[in-house]
Amino acid sequence: MIRLTDVNKTYQGVVPLHVLKGINLRIDKGELVSIMGASGSGKSTLLNILGILDNYDSGEYYLDGTLIKNLSENKAADYRNRMIGFVFQSFNLINYKDAMENVALPLFYQGVSRKKRNRLAMEQLERMGLAERAHHLPGEMSGGQKQRVAIARAMITNPSIILADEPTGALDSKTSHDVMEIFRKLNAEEGKTIVIVTHDPGVAEQTDRLIRISDGLIVPAAIPADGISKPQACVMPDGGIITPPEIV
Amino acid sequence: MKLTIFDIENWKEIGATLARNKTRTFMTGFGIFWGVAMLALLMGGATGGEDLLKRNFAGFATNSGGMVPNRTTMPYKGYQKGRGWQMDLTDVRLLRESFPELDAVIPTFQKWNSTFKQGKNSYSGQLIGAESNYTKMLVPKYYCGRFINDADVAGERRVAVIGKKVANQLFPGVEEPLGRMVDVNGAAYSVIGVAGDASEVHLNGSLDESIVIPATTFQRANGYGDKIDFLMMVAKDNANLSDLIPKMKSVVYRRHDINPDDDGAMWVINIAENFEQVDTLFSGIDILALFIGISTLLAGVIGIGNIMWVIVKERTQEIGIRRAIGAKPRDIIVQVLCEGAMLTVVSGLAGLSFAAVILGVMQHINNPPDAVLVANFQMSFMSAVGILITFIILGLLAGLIPSIKAMRIKPVEAINSK
Repeated sequence: MIRLTDVNKTYQGVVPLHVLKGINLRIDKGELVSIMGASGSGKSTLLNILGILDNYDSGEYYLDGTLIKNLSENKAADYRNRMIGFVFQSFNLINYKDAMENVALPLFYQGVSRKKRNRLAMEQLERMGLAERAHHLPGEMSGGQKQRVAIARAMITNPSIILADEPTGALDSKTSHDVMEIFRKLNAEEGKTIVIVTHDPGVAEQTDRLIRISDGLIVPAAIPADGISKPQACVMPDGGIITPPEIV
Repeated sequence: MKLTIFDIENWKEIGATLARNKTRTFMTGFGIFWGVAMLALLMGGATGGEDLLKRNFAGFATNSGGMVPNRTTMPYKGYQKGRGWQMDLTDVRLLRESFPELDAVIPTFQKWNSTFKQGKNSYSGQLIGAESNYTKMLVPKYYCGRFINDADVAGERRVAVIGKKVANQLFPGVEEPLGRMVDVNGAAYSVIGVAGDASEVHLNGSLDESIVIPATTFQRANGYGDKIDFLMMVAKDNANLSDLIPKMKSVVYRRHDINPDDDGAMWVINIAENFEQVDTLFSGIDILALFIGISTLLAGVIGIGNIMWVIVKERTQEIGIRRAIGAKPRDIIVQVLCEGAMLTVVSGLAGLSFAAVILGVMQHINNPPDAVLVANFQMSFMSAVGILITFIILGLLAGLIPSIKAMRIKPVEAINSK
């Protein structure tokens, strides 16, 4: 589903900053993966490239068999609209639109009629258990509800992948758990490919695979003896994570 | 490619956005509303003011003047200064022959403090002796009948055109006193018309308070010989009266042995010159109105541009979200431009309507039912449409820079600007 080959990205500035130093990554269809890394590791840049929000300098990025490289703004917007569903830490709902209108917005940019997109939006909200909240503004909803609206918005175009950037970062542990439940359900029942960027090892634990990024490179995962591809991580008191040194 | 302009969905989207921040929308709209209203009021008001002033000159030949003899103030050819003199019909003939540029040379006779009587009623006013060409100088307002004609003059007829006030006094309750007799300084005349002033301007007293009789009849009745009281002249449209007057003066001066440098020996009225000043005044007012109008327009447009800039800044995150979920740059630019355009159209129309109401009231107030000339406090439909189109175009241009800025917003930056 996602295949990155030797992707490099340098931010030009007074001092050029080489952020991604040759990323090789493969995420298959139906996978639920998490990406972890410290601040400045290149994690956000990687997410932006995966989300076609940013360009890269060299290498290749294939999304669902399509080469994503040097796209025009229009093409990029179109791919984002049809292939990617975004979920953000701060929800990023439009505050003067009600839940249904927010969910329906991606379809507006596909030229879908108001009636049809509102019907589809209602279906998505029902699946999230938010049907009765359809005409509430984001300001009138709790964090968990807002994030579920955002997930409904991400799902409405039936995208190839869902990219979630710290989806539980602004939520308490109970709500975080609920939101992760939704992701797991979407993954298990509909086979959606989901990529979650997180700081929270608890969140990472609930995914099938953890991808670590450090200093612009993917850290090869240690494969424990039981064969399950779930690496062991050490959480330090300050919240930092230390990767075990074993390298295969 | 779908045409956004005709997409109802798009307009609903824009309406919703504008309705979101009512105060800001209202304040911006008010700026445009005021700009358009001021411009329309200035344009309509200038036209109306001009008409009002023109009303003062209604019925009055503007390229005209008058000559009234005065005592000499300089000695010349053995004559002492302070000599009295009079113009005569030979002067009139001479001027007519010498100056083809003149449309009419009008000898005029006048007697103040004349007594008009009819039965027990009497009125004290002025008696005017005139030829038919008197109306080239001053078109009277007719209430009934006619003015003096050539046959009246040639036949020395005892006919009279009586002023409106004179008629009211002498013939109370009589609608049309035509054919009735009136006593003028002891002699009987037959009324052939009732006339009055067409405007506020008169050269030799109000026509309302006068009686006009044929020049020849006047001369005989008052023992004038061929002397005249004063002379009026109307120049042809393309002639410059200011150039003609010194030449006319020298012709008359030579005949009457008056020092060519004696400016005091004749009182000259140059209406053309006065009217030119009024014309200049109006050109000035027009230019001023245009200047103020354009300034208001610019201020309004800069206001739109400014507010659109603020809107874009304020909505960076929203635009970023829209871009992330699939809005193309064109979608964003169109959205911002259409918001500006919609605001401009609605506020502009409101401004025009407001100006129309005010101008309508001005029109009503300044036009009593008996007004000689209607003062139009109006602007043409086309100039109204012109103002609106100008505003929309300028509004779009003003919104262009902010919308390009909006278009350049990277979804990433926007989403991260929390």
